[in-house]
Amino acid sequence: MRPALVVTWAVGAALCTTLFVGALHGDWLSPAQAAYAYGGTFAAITLGVLVWRRRPDSRTGPLLTAMVFAGILPDLDTVFYRSALAVTIGLAATELLIPLYGHVVLSYPTGRLGGRAERVLVALAYVYAAVYALPLLLFYSPAQPHDQRVFECLPCADPLTRVGWYDVTGLRDALDKVLFVFAVLFLGLLARKLIVSTRTQRRISLPLLAAGAFGAGEYIVQYSIFGTQVDSWHNETWFWIVTSANLAIPSALAAGLLWGRAARSGVADLVLELERTPTGSLRAALARTLGDPSLELALWLPERGTFVHGDGTPFGVPAPSASRAVTPIGPASEPLALMVHDPALLERRALLDATGAAARLALENERLHAELQAQLAEIRASRARIVEAGDVERRRLERDLHDGAQQRLLGIGLALQLARSQLGPDANGAAELLAEADSELRAALDELRELARGIHPAVLTEQGLAPALRTLAERSPVPVHVLDAPAERFAAPSEAAVYFLVSEALANVAKHARASSVRLRVESDGATIAVDLEDDGIGGADPERGSGLRGLADRIHALDGRVTIRSDPGSGTTIHAEIPCA
Amino acid sequence: MCHDHPMPTALVVDDHPSFRRFARRLLEAGGFVVVGEAEDGASALARARDTQPDVVLLDVLLPDANGFEVAELLAAEPRRPVVVLTSSRSADDLGASLDRTSARGFISKRDLTAESLATMVGEL
Repeated sequence: MRPALVVTWAVGAALCTTLFVGALHGDWLSPAQAAYAYGGTFAAITLGVLVWRRRPDSRTGPLLTAMVFAGILPDLDTVFYRSALAVTIGLAATELLIPLYGHVVLSYPTGRLGGRAERVLVALAYVYAAVYALPLLLFYSPAQPHDQRVFECLPCADPLTRVGWYDVTGLRDALDKVLFVFAVLFLGLLARKLIVSTRTQRRISLPLLAAGAFGAGEYIVQYSIFGTQVDSWHNETWFWIVTSANLAIPSALAAGLLWGRAARSGVADLVLELERTPTGSLRAALARTLGDPSLELALWLPERGTFVHGDGTPFGVPAPSASRAVTPIGPASEPLALMVHDPALLERRALLDATGAAARLALENERLHAELQAQLAEIRASRARIVEAGDVERRRLERDLHDGAQQRLLGIGLALQLARSQLGPDANGAAELLAEADSELRAALDELRELARGIHPAVLTEQGLAPALRTLAERSPVPVHVLDAPAERFAAPSEAAVYFLVSEALANVAKHARASSVRLRVESDGATIAVDLEDDGIGGADPERGSGLRGLADRIHALDGRVTIRSDPGSGTTIHAEIPCA
Repeated sequence: MCHDHPMPTALVVDDHPSFRRFARRLLEAGGFVVVGEAEDGASALARARDTQPDVVLLDVLLPDANGFEVAELLAAEPRRPVVVLTSSRSADDLGASLDRTSARGFISKRDLTAESLATMVGEL
């Protein structure tokens, strides 16, 4: 433990002991009251120091320790009443408990104040404590209190800071009203915090919020009855209530720590569960054990030098913030994995560490699974890229044919026409020769056009799926009823997959099906293009035998689509395909 | 439609220079006066405004625009020319756009002659 923490704890222990003895010796409190007040305070200081040690990065520990000290510093003058320094410190800390109380409760469990309203209220509370203490430090004398609410103490020392005499009763009455408003606003902020918290934060911070509500509610009742702060040392009932309210915060934190220890038994359950957990389910098991449904697991793949999800997709590790915390599993310098979770869980550091340690048992399988998934994803992406590259190449070839050979042949055709028109009657049979050449040229152009269309149909590139499918239907020797075809455009690989599927299917119908008609329906729901093609032929087609449909099924699978073919003998052939739109 | 030439005037729009050259000679041999050539949609509109042709022989696939779009722009001109679309592709390849265009008609480049153009243009 750090020396500063040991010293803080030792000073707290010494103070509590001294005040306990002083209270009994001076007959200020009954033994039970003194034991409750200062025994509880000592336990609270011990707890504050422990929280501080466990979470040095969080403000909860130091704030809690400061709050408990602030609760007993005003009692210093009961023992050290002849010491001007003790009286001065006691007066300066008169209301310091108030802002620290609000600060601890509102900043829990992250250690940071959540919003503007919380920051403003806590800042105003610190101002309130200062404004409350200042007139006491300047004008108050225990020997001549001139404040109807303070008992006369003739042997007491004056504060070091006293400059003169002034009755500040009115100011303190006004500040009591301010404190009442603070208490009401504080309750409102607690309610809001409860509503906006995540489930994990709520479960962890609920005891502390309840303790905070108890403290604020206690003052509201006190003010409603007495119109001011009650002197709890002279009102036994209120002594127990006020002291309990002050100790409620550390008690709630202690309860939370005990709950955390109890929750560690869940780690034992986790170890057993991991034996049965199927690979790929580690994240869910960890989320259950830690009670944080938002928990994410980032697996480190050393071969790739990257973090991935359980399904192998890349994981962008967030920077730790007020909304997400990151806990490594394994050595912090070379973690096997990261848990990204609700920062409220940092209050359960031991549970986090134990859970991470238990998870290491299952991590290797999980990492292998993620590696496999990542490889599969790469293969899928690679297949899709190959299909797309093929389509791009087909479009380029078609365009090259169109711009190159086809244009030259067309130019020759026009030139032949010109030559024919300019031939005189004594052409010696040249007109017939030119007509023959023109006829050959037209045949070559037709063949070239068919070739280009087979490579990649221009109507698909330029007009989209619906016109291209209607063109296919018109050119089919078997009548095709196009019942539906989407007018919108889709990603080029998806359009090409649908087009070539229908084209190949219609070619098969024409060749083998002996069908009298085909019904074609192509629809899209925005995510998928669904193709249904049905003929009334003889059926009995075996997609595994022909390479055409098999190749098209591969093309569709490469795009993460699927295709099913039913072709019972005598019942025609039905093809159903679903292809992602993009 | 009024014009200053005794013979119909034509503007040839195509991005292939060889096609423009042969088409010009073919149309001129068939009785058209070719008043200009353009290689893309933007220059087609500019040339049409300058030369006020009776007929625009317009390729469907231009580098900067679709021939169907250019046909609609030409149809909106004050002195609206008769637009005949042409392409090395067949009418099948062009799909339903041919049904919706405000152009007078379509002639495949393979079937283009001065006579087929004159027949489609009809009486000016």
